[in-house]
Amino acid sequence: MKVGYLCTFTPKELIHSAGFLPYRVFATDRPINLASAYIQSYSCSQARGSLECALQDDFHAFVFTRCCDTLMRLTDIFEFAGKRVCNIEFPTKIGNVEYYVQELRDFIEVLREWGGEVNFERLMESLKLYRKLEEKLKQLFALSPDYETAIKVQQIEVRDAIKLVDEKIRTAKKEKEKPKVLITGSVCPYPKVYEIFREAGFSVKDDLCTGSRFFEYSYPDFEPVDLDSALKFIAEKYMNKSPCPTKHYEKDKRFEYVLKLAEDCDAVVFLLVKFCDPHFFDYPQLRARLEGMGKKVALIELEFPVVSFEQIRTRVEALREVI
Amino acid sequence: MITVGIDIGSITAKCVVLEDTRILGYKISRVKPNLEVTAKEILAETLSFVGLKREDVGRIVATGYGRNMVDFADKKITEISCHAAGACFLISNAGTVIDIGGQDSKVIAVENGKVLDFVMNDKCAAGTGRFIEVMAAALNLRIEDVGSLAVKATKKLKISSTCTVFAETEVVSYISSGEKVENIVAGVCDAIAGRIIAMANRVGIRREVVLTGGVAKNLGVKRAIEERLGFPVIVPEEPQIAGALGAAVLGQKA
Repeated sequence: MKVGYLCTFTPKELIHSAGFLPYRVFATDRPINLASAYIQSYSCSQARGSLECALQDDFHAFVFTRCCDTLMRLTDIFEFAGKRVCNIEFPTKIGNVEYYVQELRDFIEVLREWGGEVNFERLMESLKLYRKLEEKLKQLFALSPDYETAIKVQQIEVRDAIKLVDEKIRTAKKEKEKPKVLITGSVCPYPKVYEIFREAGFSVKDDLCTGSRFFEYSYPDFEPVDLDSALKFIAEKYMNKSPCPTKHYEKDKRFEYVLKLAEDCDAVVFLLVKFCDPHFFDYPQLRARLEGMGKKVALIELEFPVVSFEQIRTRVEALREVI
Repeated sequence: MITVGIDIGSITAKCVVLEDTRILGYKISRVKPNLEVTAKEILAETLSFVGLKREDVGRIVATGYGRNMVDFADKKITEISCHAAGACFLISNAGTVIDIGGQDSKVIAVENGKVLDFVMNDKCAAGTGRFIEVMAAALNLRIEDVGSLAVKATKKLKISSTCTVFAETEVVSYISSGEKVENIVAGVCDAIAGRIIAMANRVGIRREVVLTGGVAKNLGVKRAIEERLGFPVIVPEEPQIAGALGAAVLGQKA
């Protein structure tokens, strides 16, 4: 049974250990029709597209974690639309592990109400599987970033996902030296967009929820011994994942992370979904910091479903020509 | 060397033949649904106009939104680089190129012919030639008359909607309230100028500002932009060929 989730901060290991398929919900190629009855058109198309997907497809339930304002309120809309929903309050200010462990304890109860069964052994198995998948994705992206695979693995059983990534690692070839572009933004579930960058002569690295932010973690250095310590492990794992603009970090962690990623890049592209407030609020300052490093910077706005690939191509090719 | 630049835009195709630094001739035609046929026809027409054959041409460079459909081109370069190169070929001290085409508009910051930064609007008719086309139709005017009428205005009526569809409603409302046509079109031109300057501020405006694209021929829009900038802008003799010319110029270097 599919349990849908939208944010990379969702503890998919818990969902998986309860016997459900954690399934990342994205906007699809389908036009947004049914969702328009529930949500305004000035909400981002990832939110509207995900709602459309939820209304059209078969899901057992949905899990939200507190991230951007739109997704927070989307929880209520999903509920209003008759969906089974759980909202986990991930702390916006990163650091309060104990609070989040309690949230995860409550979430286990919800999973049980939904017909799932969570125990320490099963959770440890899921933790190991997802860690394996994340490490393999890191390996694959070090050779050649493969966004189609990174997106697909978020919608299939983790064991199959590991097999798929293994297969991709076997056939992947190390990318040749080319001008490098860092793509930063929230989500872009359309692999063709990344191909446009490659076709324009760029090698690609990213700071995206549909790319490295799905698998970049600093894992806690302790081995869980019981269910509670496993929850602590999850809490620390997610609090130490690649930073996201919807969270508040100590110092300037989010900007420093992006600036560090950009160091070996020739250009940075903000690939932003229209109306994505957290990213757009950061954009002017972050752009100025990147330009201060001598990077060429471009902004490409997306609206899902993406139809104007050629317009994206012109911007990407123009950026390549500028370099 | 003789080079040819072909710019396949959304509404018009432009072709320029360049020998070293001398423009031998150019043609502008309406785009047909088959972009490859459009490109072939305008190339044949322009070459015949300047008395050359295909084999006399050293290099063909395609640009514009239909560039990837011009299979016979030796190179394809985006309209950003080409408009910058074309505008700087015509006005060597250009600092900003504002190109307002039929379906898109772009502002390019340039220095010595090189692109520093750019911003494009190609998703929405606001701030493009299409905006004028729709308003001209609502006012029962020929598009080429809009600019000359706008400069006769005694006041500039405010068009507050950015969206072309809603702006058209405002225009219709002004007509029914008896406002003079020239005052309405002055408002239309100013609405485009407002949209363009907002875009231009994102890349920064540096003199000299060169206005290219079909809409540059519209005196009303030119004046509205100048009023908002507070200084004059330069419109080349044939602003519509800047992209094709730039493609031919870059063909010389390729």
